Amino acid sequence: MTLEPATPVENALEVEDVHVQLGDTRVLRGVNLQVPRGRIVAVIGPNGCGKTTLLRCLLGLQKVDRGEIRLFGKPIGPEVLARVGYVPQRLQVDPSFSLSVREFLALRRRETRFWFWQTHRATDAHLRETLAELDAVHLLDRPLAGLSGGQLQRVLIAYSLLGRPEILVLDEPTAGVDTPGEHSFYELIASIHRRLGLTVVLVSHDLGMVFRHAAWVYALNGVVCCEGPPEEVLDAESLKAAYGIHVAPYHHHHHAGHPHAHPVVAPPGQSVPIAFRKR
Amino acid sequence: MPDFLSEPYMQRALLAAIILGPMCGLLGVFVTARRMAFFSETIAHSALTGVALGFLVGFDEPTLPVLLVCCVLAVAMLWLKEHSALLTDTIMAVLLSSSVATGVLLLKFQPNRWADLDKYLFGDILSVSWDDVRIAAVVALVVVIVVFRYLNPLTLLATNEDLAHVSGVRVRPLNYAFVLLVTLTVALGVRLVGIVLVTSLVVIPAATARGFATNLRQHLVLGTLLGLVGASGGVVLGYPLDFPTGPTITLTLAALFVVSLVYSRARRRRASSPLPVPQP
Repeated sequence: MTLEPATPVENALEVEDVHVQLGDTRVLRGVNLQVPRGRIVAVIGPNGCGKTTLLRCLLGLQKVDRGEIRLFGKPIGPEVLARVGYVPQRLQVDPSFSLSVREFLALRRRETRFWFWQTHRATDAHLRETLAELDAVHLLDRPLAGLSGGQLQRVLIAYSLLGRPEILVLDEPTAGVDTPGEHSFYELIASIHRRLGLTVVLVSHDLGMVFRHAAWVYALNGVVCCEGPPEEVLDAESLKAAYGIHVAPYHHHHHAGHPHAHPVVAPPGQSVPIAFRKR
Repeated sequence: MPDFLSEPYMQRALLAAIILGPMCGLLGVFVTARRMAFFSETIAHSALTGVALGFLVGFDEPTLPVLLVCCVLAVAMLWLKEHSALLTDTIMAVLLSSSVATGVLLLKFQPNRWADLDKYLFGDILSVSWDDVRIAAVVALVVVIVVFRYLNPLTLLATNEDLAHVSGVRVRPLNYAFVLLVTLTVALGVRLVGIVLVTSLVVIPAATARGFATNLRQHLVLGTLLGLVGASGGVVLGYPLDFPTGPTITLTLAALFVVSLVYSRARRRRASSPLPVPQP
């Protein structure tokens, strides 16, 4: 295995020394991570490790106290967010809201600003085509509030893809999805990734998913405790450590195709609560 | 022209119902989707402070003070939601009870107005003035323009605010605009239906329309129409029966809601019944 890449890889996402304090809690304490274009990268960690806060920072929903986040080399703002497809964990759709899948997807298309009062055949064909790619065309006229977890995730991905994103950000995408559904969902993400060459950032505590599908893993617990390919990061001993035992940090080597992988260093004056070792 | 329309107060009341009913029905679709029924209730109750304050400072028709106090309360609610760790329900409960208590105390200082309390609590068509009708018409115009100009962002906001933000919606200004429109509509509805019953004008048409609608387009159109039918029907029915307008409007809407419940149950039963087995 070569340790240095043959050609430089451009980063879709760069997070540099990000600090966030919420109330009295320092949730992120100097997080660094890079996501090269066209890769599937996972951010994992136990509950309360700062995954959601980091995700909110990436999407411009939470201000950082210190540090910088760049998407495609630019600070977070409406311009770069237009290149992001965000798949939230769930929607807050009340059963009293009769929004159909067709209407929801049409919200993503610019030409449908006044779509409610007319039929756009071209738009409709596009919605069908996108749903068909996700094996979900039968959901088109279903009410959004009546979908199962797995069906909703497919619709949310369709919504994201309609915006022609360059990066997909998925937040705990299989929460509320049964095990067979989880498997086919990640297969779907992998196939979209292969077909469209999208960058994918998965924020999850689902370690099985990470092992099967991610090319690179960041383990987070206030700081990035460890990073590397899943087969190196996710051994049994490391997982045990990740969810309780405090040991010294481990420094990974740089890897081919991921030229910006950082060695893990604890911020001054702090211990790193999780560390992973190579087998 | 029917008899009752020869009375100027009935003309004003019917016009107000024709303007406010559809407006409440339209906004109600988003209010119920965003689980804001209690918000509407809080705003309605704060109108009591507006009424009492209006009388105290010398207004004969307290519409403007009511609108002002309701808007101040709505902004206070949004500010507290953004700047405190309190749950929205808690904030609304605090503001609702405090504003009712303030209103009652302020009315106690004006014994000659105390007798008017029930007409603000349960509505009084005699109290609807031409100014009220004009203000309602202007607010209705603004509601229609904003809702149809921002229909997609408003719809997205009702599904997930974070998703709306990433999709380019300016969430905070749109939230404030929506809340202010609901506030103005509810505050105006108080004159017609009363503080206690005005939420029915916002919530019931939307809930009734849900029973018939299979998509948002139908939901919005039916919600608007049912608001119109319920509000104007209540005014028209109340006149020959000599019933107070507020409760008559609410019960008309409730009757339509029962029809919708029966219809949607029958539809569900039809949908879940097994297909007939073909006979050989």
